[in-house]
Amino acid sequence: MATKDIVLDHVSIRFGAYTAVDNAHLVIKGGEFFSFLGPSGCGKTTLLRCISGFSDPSEGRVLIGGQDMRGIGPNKRPTALIFQNLALFPLMSVADNIAFPLEVRGIGRKERRKRADELLDMIALPGVGDKKVHELSGGQRQRVAIARALAVEPDILLLDEPLSALDLKLRHHMRTELRAIQQRVGLTFIYITHDQGEALTMSDRVAVMNAGVIEQVDPPETIYNRPKTSFVASFVGETNAIEGKVAQQTEALVSVETPFGRLQGRAAGGRQYKAGEDCILFIRPEQLSLEGGTPNTLTANWVKEEFEGNSRQLFLEANGVQLRLTRVNLGGTPDNLSGGTVSLGFTPEQAIVLPHGALAGA
Amino acid sequence: MKVLQNVFSEISGKHGLGAASFVAVAVLFWVICLITLPQVAMLDYSFRFNLPAAEVGGPQDVYTLENYAYFFQGNDGTVNTLDIGILVKTLIAAVFVTFIDILLCYPIAFILAHSATGVAARMMVIGLIVPFWVNEILRAFAFRVLFGSTGLINGIGMSMGLWDQPVDFIRADVALYSGLTYAYILLMVFPIFNAVEALDRNQIEAARDMGASWWRVHWRVVLPVAKPGIASGATMVFMLTAGALAAPQILGGPSNLWFTQLIYQWFNESANWQRGSAYAVILLIVCISFVMMLMRVFKVSIGEIGR
Amino acid sequence: MNRGTGGGVVATGFSLLFFTFLFGPLIIMVITAFNSSSFPRITPWECFTTEWFGVLFANDRLMSGLANSLVIAVSVVVIAVPIGLAGALALSELGPRLRAALYTVLITPILIPGVVLGISTIIFWGAFGRSVGADYGSIFYSGMFLTLAGQVTFISAYAMLVFLARLQRFDPILTEAALDLGATPGQAFRKILLPFLGPAIGSAAFLTFLASFENYNTTVFTILSGNTFTTALASKVRHGTDPSLSALAVIIIGITLIGAVVHEAHMRRKEVMRTGTTARSRIYGNPVLRTLVHPLTIFVILLGIAGFATYQGTQHDAGVCKQQILDEKRARQQELLEEQRRKMEAQKQNQAPASTAPAEEPVKANPSPFGGAFKSNGLKPGE
Repeated sequence: MATKDIVLDHVSIRFGAYTAVDNAHLVIKGGEFFSFLGPSGCGKTTLLRCISGFSDPSEGRVLIGGQDMRGIGPNKRPTALIFQNLALFPLMSVADNIAFPLEVRGIGRKERRKRADELLDMIALPGVGDKKVHELSGGQRQRVAIARALAVEPDILLLDEPLSALDLKLRHHMRTELRAIQQRVGLTFIYITHDQGEALTMSDRVAVMNAGVIEQVDPPETIYNRPKTSFVASFVGETNAIEGKVAQQTEALVSVETPFGRLQGRAAGGRQYKAGEDCILFIRPEQLSLEGGTPNTLTANWVKEEFEGNSRQLFLEANGVQLRLTRVNLGGTPDNLSGGTVSLGFTPEQAIVLPHGALAGA
Repeated sequence: MKVLQNVFSEISGKHGLGAASFVAVAVLFWVICLITLPQVAMLDYSFRFNLPAAEVGGPQDVYTLENYAYFFQGNDGTVNTLDIGILVKTLIAAVFVTFIDILLCYPIAFILAHSATGVAARMMVIGLIVPFWVNEILRAFAFRVLFGSTGLINGIGMSMGLWDQPVDFIRADVALYSGLTYAYILLMVFPIFNAVEALDRNQIEAARDMGASWWRVHWRVVLPVAKPGIASGATMVFMLTAGALAAPQILGGPSNLWFTQLIYQWFNESANWQRGSAYAVILLIVCISFVMMLMRVFKVSIGEIGR
Repeated sequence: MNRGTGGGVVATGFSLLFFTFLFGPLIIMVITAFNSSSFPRITPWECFTTEWFGVLFANDRLMSGLANSLVIAVSVVVIAVPIGLAGALALSELGPRLRAALYTVLITPILIPGVVLGISTIIFWGAFGRSVGADYGSIFYSGMFLTLAGQVTFISAYAMLVFLARLQRFDPILTEAALDLGATPGQAFRKILLPFLGPAIGSAAFLTFLASFENYNTTVFTILSGNTFTTALASKVRHGTDPSLSALAVIIIGITLIGAVVHEAHMRRKEVMRTGTTARSRIYGNPVLRTLVHPLTIFVILLGIAGFATYQGTQHDAGVCKQQILDEKRARQQELLEEQRRKMEAQKQNQAPASTAPAEEPVKANPSPFGGAFKSNGLKPGE
């Protein structure tokens, strides 16, 4: 099976004075399920179009299997793109859609039909070949789009937020499905999404992008547990951000002067801080507890409470800082905190201290 | 030139070299050989003397303003009130017909877009289109049948005792104005319909809900949306009415000429093509300036015509 | 109907008036085709006749014009549809400013008065012919060629508008998808964009054919000494009318109605097929009814009805009725005369008896409404 690596070699893409992608530099290994995750407008789709051949980088190179792709059009690259709206041809039958890549290569009608039926079997939709595209359900169209892309026999499948048009339940189902198809065909999948759930559940590795810059490339667990920048920490998952100044650092533990007093957290990536440096301490809502722990104890006022079924979200406020705490619903009676003052705690190992920087959605 | 090259390479990159070459050749031929050069040739012609074929291109064949001078001063140097009067009358009549068409078509376009539903709406659309598949000449003829001195209207009017002598609707130009109003109705309905259809029905209901009377709803909510459609339709109806030839020839009174009939006479009866060209240029310039002026007044652009 | 927006009774009433205005003249014209009166009119009704259809087909000028019109219309379709498509494609690829400029240029032929287009066309191609040394027998002085050139100039713009409307609904992502799946730009154009434009090509062809066939203002100049159907028709109308023109209207309206009904059946069928409600629909669920509402079935049925009507029409003889009308008139005339004579006799019994042969007098002395019409000055108003 395909083992062509993709190398983005210091790729920048500019439109006039605007830089859409700034110095992207990474290697995607053959057979990997690789996601680009970021808010809309972060440059991920631009980067994808650059890999698929609809544009060339302003600077740097895109290498596929060691070959520079500059000047090679989308129809000549070993990539197949699944568009956000799928771009199935509405006037063709399902089988004709899937066989289109074969048709343009001059392969005979019989052979095309055979191959289309094989691919329909593979995506578990046998017998729909003669239907029109609009007769299929959303999830079926999704799979037909994948089958059509696979008919190109690409080395790399590029997916541009293909699940965004589906309803929530189907979206969750298709995550599993996509991952299963990828495992089955063994191709490299490059997946673009703004939905962290999709990126985290399916991917081998995730690249988090913000404002044209790739902030971190790591496996999902590392991205979630050990973010390297304040943007990654705040964009992936829910978190509480408490701004402050570094007081002192003893090995991996940093003491931070915050509006709640002095709090301790882990220094990200073994970083050395200078005393007085601006920083942010991040603590996830599920890691905050209602028992005060040493040395990190803080008090806050109850604001409101939201019941979410499997959990309960507590919204708290103190010294102008909003905090959020998640209580897993184990079936017991809810805590009655209404209107009161709450004291909270967390262990220093659970909190992470990062240099001051941009926050997601800020 | 550079721009055209870029466009060409863009099209050929997207649709292939064959398609791009076809587009380039067809559009250039259209713009240059069919649209631009004939108008230039006519303009050139209008500044020349009406010479016998043998002298064309000879020393006598020089430029002159005579053909235009004739329009303004006639042969004797006094003001050519007859021809100028016909032009002015044509313009005023065209404006009148356009205005009537707006009054007729705005309600229909609105009803079609927002009141009629399902089968009724489809029947209305078909009902609007079908009469216009009938030849223009025959439509004019129908009005002659209707308004003739032994036509249906005179017949009904006299049998009901409303009048006892046949009324000459033709001489009074009633038949002509009705026929012209009828002729271009479709070109007024559909632009207005397209514009009004885009209006969210909730806006109308919101305005009603806030207590606006129905005419205020139209004046404040619907009409602003319909404006580009009205402008587009009015431009087309005005230009076509002012340039109409068939209807005035068939329905016009014997003493009331349309300006296009004047041009027709210079060509076919007086065989003075140069003067006919000059009159055609005058018609074109006057009509276009008039439309441009109105567009400026109503703040619409030509890009909205034909939508 | 939507209450509160001027809907309801007012809307219905206005719509009725509007469509009466639209269809009234046509309906009246259709009826006049079957009245034996030699001026097209409804009142007084004389005899039901189909003879005007015969008069129509015997008009050589109209029939040769029809042949010319068909040749020109087909040529215009063949040339104007591709040019319009090219214009629409060019516009869809241009930047906003260039697009506005080109759009203005391409849309002007629709706005320029037809007579101006006709004049400029003959002058330009005549001058062109002169400059290349062509003689007067050459193509540049041929009415057919000039008409084609003149009509294509503005009819292409109609085609272009049709294509532009369709192109607006095209998702350019589809072309990108085709390219990504290995198609060359040319293949993507032929296999994706052109099939998408298919329906628009059909309607553009229909529209351009109709526009060419109907055109008068430009054609009356460019056809030179020749004739198209429309110019022949116009000169006939201008030089006195008879109900054979109404007969023509009957035929055209008949064809139009058949076309409209078949088209509507086709659209409904497509709609039902597309929404996939076939099984639920009472008509489309039943195989017999379903065949019955198939556009082709409807077309054949309508054609049959039209054919039957034509056959019945050719069999109809209005001679007896016309004779009757004539006799009635004469009888009435005689009655009047007799009455007059009786009065006169009553008054002047001693005078000699009056002539007894008034019925032998020609019809032109008839005081009935039939004769009176011919004295009116409204008969040939266009002259």
